[in-house]
Amino acid sequence: MSSMGLLWVNKYKPRKFSEIIGNRESITTFRSWLEKRLKGESVEKAALLWGPPGVGKTLTVEVAALEYNLELIQMNASDVRTGEHIKRILGMASQYASLFGTRGKIILVDEVDGISKAEDRGGLSAIISLIDVARFPVVLTANDPWDPAFRPLRDKCKMIRYNRIRLPTLVAFLKKICLMEGIKAEDSALRFIAKRVEGDVRSAINDLQAAAQGRRTLTLADVQWLAMRDRQFGVFDVLKGIFAAKTCRGAKAAFAQSLVDYEMLIQWIHENLPLQYTSPEELASAYDALSRADIFLGRAKRTQAWTLLSYTIDLMTAGVSMVKKDRYHFVKYQFPQKLKILSQSKEVRAVRNTICRRIAEKCHVSRSMASSEYLPYLKFIFENNVEMAAGIARWLNLDEFMIAFLAGSFEKAKEITSRL
Amino acid sequence: MLWTEKYRPKKLDDIVNQREVIERVKQFVKTKNIPHMLFAGPPGTGKTTTALALAYELYGSNWRQNVLELNASDERGIQTVRERVKDYARTLPMGDVPYKIIILDEADNMTADAQQALRRTMELYTRTCRFILIANYSSKIIEPIQSRCAIFRFQPLSEDDIANRIKLIAEMESVELREDGLKAILYVAEGDLRRAINTLQAAAALGVVDEKAVYRVVGKASPVEIREMMELALSGNFMKSREKLRELMITYGLSGVDIIRQMHREVFALKIPEEAKVKLADKIGEINFRMIEGADEEIQLSALLAFFALFGQQLREAPLHSK
Repeated sequence: MSSMGLLWVNKYKPRKFSEIIGNRESITTFRSWLEKRLKGESVEKAALLWGPPGVGKTLTVEVAALEYNLELIQMNASDVRTGEHIKRILGMASQYASLFGTRGKIILVDEVDGISKAEDRGGLSAIISLIDVARFPVVLTANDPWDPAFRPLRDKCKMIRYNRIRLPTLVAFLKKICLMEGIKAEDSALRFIAKRVEGDVRSAINDLQAAAQGRRTLTLADVQWLAMRDRQFGVFDVLKGIFAAKTCRGAKAAFAQSLVDYEMLIQWIHENLPLQYTSPEELASAYDALSRADIFLGRAKRTQAWTLLSYTIDLMTAGVSMVKKDRYHFVKYQFPQKLKILSQSKEVRAVRNTICRRIAEKCHVSRSMASSEYLPYLKFIFENNVEMAAGIARWLNLDEFMIAFLAGSFEKAKEITSRL
Repeated sequence: MLWTEKYRPKKLDDIVNQREVIERVKQFVKTKNIPHMLFAGPPGTGKTTTALALAYELYGSNWRQNVLELNASDERGIQTVRERVKDYARTLPMGDVPYKIIILDEADNMTADAQQALRRTMELYTRTCRFILIANYSSKIIEPIQSRCAIFRFQPLSEDDIANRIKLIAEMESVELREDGLKAILYVAEGDLRRAINTLQAAAALGVVDEKAVYRVVGKASPVEIREMMELALSGNFMKSREKLRELMITYGLSGVDIIRQMHREVFALKIPEEAKVKLADKIGEINFRMIEGADEEIQLSALLAFFALFGQQLREAPLHSK
């Protein structure tokens, strides 16, 4: 079966307790509560699973439904959650037997701390009364249930804490996914992903998929742009707003009303200008405006006269927008290469600098001399002659990354390393 | 290992040409008394090699303990140079030579102010240290330093000098060096022996060193793709030319200034009317100025390529007079 389009979080979603990673103890506690509750022993009528996002709270309940063959009745914070609403849906389910027979039920209310007192009138008291009347186990989840308003709820619940997934556990899990996807991943790449998500498995899998899908190998450089991604939200709308604007005011407003960082936005505009403007006149004019925006930005930075920034904004919004001769047409905007390359090349630059330093020491030249008079030749040698490259690598004491930088690929680097 | 190092002469007598310089230096070594020295000359003519060989002949096998190598381009400011010299000069030299040697390479990259400070440092430690300053241009070294140094001018190496050395190395490394390969090396080296040896070694990575191999190496080292990038833009293929630009910056590690300088050089080789070349050169100059001012290199160069694309279209629609 093709895995195209399938989210890996779903594809690799555990279906058994034994497959869930981390939080062994919490799961055991939950199961023993649930079993007692199902048998009708006297325990709390509800359980509240709390902890950071993406560590398996909801998943525990979903797996419980499968393993204990229970019908899962689910709500979460995104549903409209007035007391009325909750009563209607959950009340019904908890009072009467299922239409499909006498299967037991488990009721899940996700993200209860998302209930705000103002918006969800009676939401909290509705949940409490639900717990009181429900014949079936009720499970609540929350990130932070310690608001005083939740006290009455906490009193009714078995509180079970979920912790962040530990780094080695998470890395091992990602590795397993890569194995199944047939991807050769560097440990450093997986660790980079795992570290960023702070124990959130769901994010980790999403990040892994974003970076690795369709690849055979995954290097550190392939994942580093992820760090940038988080801050890109909403930028597509801003771009469309700018390019589609009919007036200067409109173009400026598209930026002003967003939270997008202007320096980053310049890169986005730069990336997408040739997609938006295909005629040479428009493109040249738009680039002229953008390059002038960049000049004002440089002046503002240099002189610390930040009032100049407003001219940057004018030119990068109104300036690039007003050059269009026809009506706006929609294009699919692209993620800026520069941001991707920049984060990659930061790493690459570090590797490159280290190589230059080694050459400088060994060959009695400056680092810039090493870069201009030696590096191009070394690259040529490493790309073309494994034997000679290995000798030089040994002499300069290069590691695998440096060898890969010079050879241009990890495959070639392996070949060279094997002769060291 | 790299052949430039493997075949770097250890003794003064083995240095290629520079006979006058070597004769004078040898006199100093004989008396074990050397002054501050300034070695000036084009790259790859043996300045650093002479300094190292001199140290070797002076101190013998423990020369490393008595020599501090600094590179003015790498040290952050004169402050660091001073600190390192101070630390180094504190301890006494080993052996029977009563001073240590400090080799300061690429000294002409120091600002005039830094050189003034260097002069004071030189005076301060004259008793225990001798300086060998190395520079491409002696004129970039301030007068007061020049007057305290014995100045040695290294001559550009002749083609014969380089050819003999290259043939020798090829023989020692059992490399098959063809006549046309040697000629090509001499052509691209422009009197720089270091570059000649590096070119030889890189070409030898392919096997036989012939003209084709040498130009493959050089193609990598000095991107002819710059012209291709400009031609793509002029023909209206902006996207491809921008890709090329990024490739040059990322893969070859060229800076924006590197690229704009090469564009400037290449613009006159383009097959467009003479009048058009001037217009493009003018625009290139403007963008160059912006980059010196600190503008974003990729955006400015992209804007330049977009200008090229528009210019190319205008040329096709209303051709200028070809002169």
